[in-house]
Amino acid sequence: MKIQEIREIIKLVDQSSLDEFLYESEGTKIKLKKNEKGFVNSTSETFESSSIIEQPRQVEVKAPVAQEAPKQQVVEEATTESVVDSSLHTIISPMVGTFYQSSSPDTAAYVEVGTKVSADSIVCIVEAMKLFNEIEAEIDGQVVEILVKDGQLVEYGQPLFLVKGN
Amino acid sequence: MNISIKEKILSTLINAKGEPVSGQKLADELHISRTMIWKHLKSIEEDGYVIEAIKKKGYILQSIPDLVTPEQILPKLNTKQLGRNIDYYTSCTSTQIIAADKARQGASHGTVIISEEQTAGKGRLERSWDSTANKGIWMSVIIRPNISPEFAAQFTLVSAVAINQAIQEVTNLTPQIKWPNDILINGKKVTGILTELQADMDIVHSIIIGIGVNVNQELSAFDESIQNIATSLKMENGEEVDRSLLVAKILYYLEKYGDLYVEKGFEPIKILWESHNCTIGKRIRATMLRETLEGVALGITKDGVLELRLDSGEIRGIYSADIHLLGRS
Repeated sequence: MKIQEIREIIKLVDQSSLDEFLYESEGTKIKLKKNEKGFVNSTSETFESSSIIEQPRQVEVKAPVAQEAPKQQVVEEATTESVVDSSLHTIISPMVGTFYQSSSPDTAAYVEVGTKVSADSIVCIVEAMKLFNEIEAEIDGQVVEILVKDGQLVEYGQPLFLVKGN
Repeated sequence: MNISIKEKILSTLINAKGEPVSGQKLADELHISRTMIWKHLKSIEEDGYVIEAIKKKGYILQSIPDLVTPEQILPKLNTKQLGRNIDYYTSCTSTQIIAADKARQGASHGTVIISEEQTAGKGRLERSWDSTANKGIWMSVIIRPNISPEFAAQFTLVSAVAINQAIQEVTNLTPQIKWPNDILINGKKVTGILTELQADMDIVHSIIIGIGVNVNQELSAFDESIQNIATSLKMENGEEVDRSLLVAKILYYLEKYGDLYVEKGFEPIKILWESHNCTIGKRIRATMLRETLEGVALGITKDGVLELRLDSGEIRGIYSADIHLLGRS
């Protein structure tokens, strides 16, 4: 199975209401798990204009039946054979902002493809309006792919890195 | 030396408001010897306080140094939670670094880290920030609002509005805000705010608001390279400003506008920001990592994002950039 296909699956699962996804076929095993803890009820008015990513989560609570459709779709996409021996973790952006690979233009990137990370390793910074958010890996493993470019604007919930868990 | 006893002696002297305080009475009240009282008084004098000893009457506090100690800030503070826990340093590397550590260790909402001097103060993208000893306000405020991370960035504009208001009240100057949150007086920078978010996907653990205000510096205190773009409150209004009073006012408005934002959303903050800004309607240059854009600043969105109209007519939302004001459009 190609990395692009895995990415596609992750994206679909990410956008779906599923919080866990398991695929097995002739020695290929893919297990995806979202680390969602339910969202906080904010008193802020602006919360009503919540982003697209959040809507499926609400669906999940109100209409569990709706979960079936995306699951079907994902399985169909994942029919190619290859060997992935452990789960891939997606690090996603918790806010809209500018993605930075390093703390300043003059310093080295926090991580590159191949860098080993632990749960509390800083992998990048996302900035919006001079608010800086250091994003942590939240898993022990190795960076497999960097999905966005230095200085790029990223959306809420956008996948930033793929990390292969230990 | 026991700090709490020293603080008690100092507050007794301050509360006496120029009347002599008997050394024997202090010793009796605090259950320590006259010698210990004398040692504490020496230590207080080393901090810059001037104490006069009058025979058979006692000690009179003659002058209070301009410091941002908790003893000086707390009597002027009118907040519920912000600044109720102040961690004071005479010198440190960076209040922001200390605050980030304390926040991770669970420091409470409203905790303030403040220092007379920073040896490694930082601005955006790790640019150095000049923090002269005893002349400015160098502090970091830890807040823990119950919001989702996607609404955290607006706190940088909340902070700008709060500090702008505090400066206006303490000095009678009319500062203005450059997007997103630099505070300028007569076009020169007097305040920088750098904010750090500690959060999971769904919840904010803490927002650490790093604040640098140039208060009582003379021009010569600034590095030559920034003398034409930086200023201090004293340089602008011609007199010394009570730093501890300004700290107390900043914390007051930060709490007030922070609560307003959490309760009512960004709309009221947007109105306040707009009424004090010097960016909208100006021709600006936005320098970003991947590109530099020039155009006219049209305004801010309901989320605080800067809208820029390029010469081609295209409208772009700016999330993170260094903004240079080029003049009127």
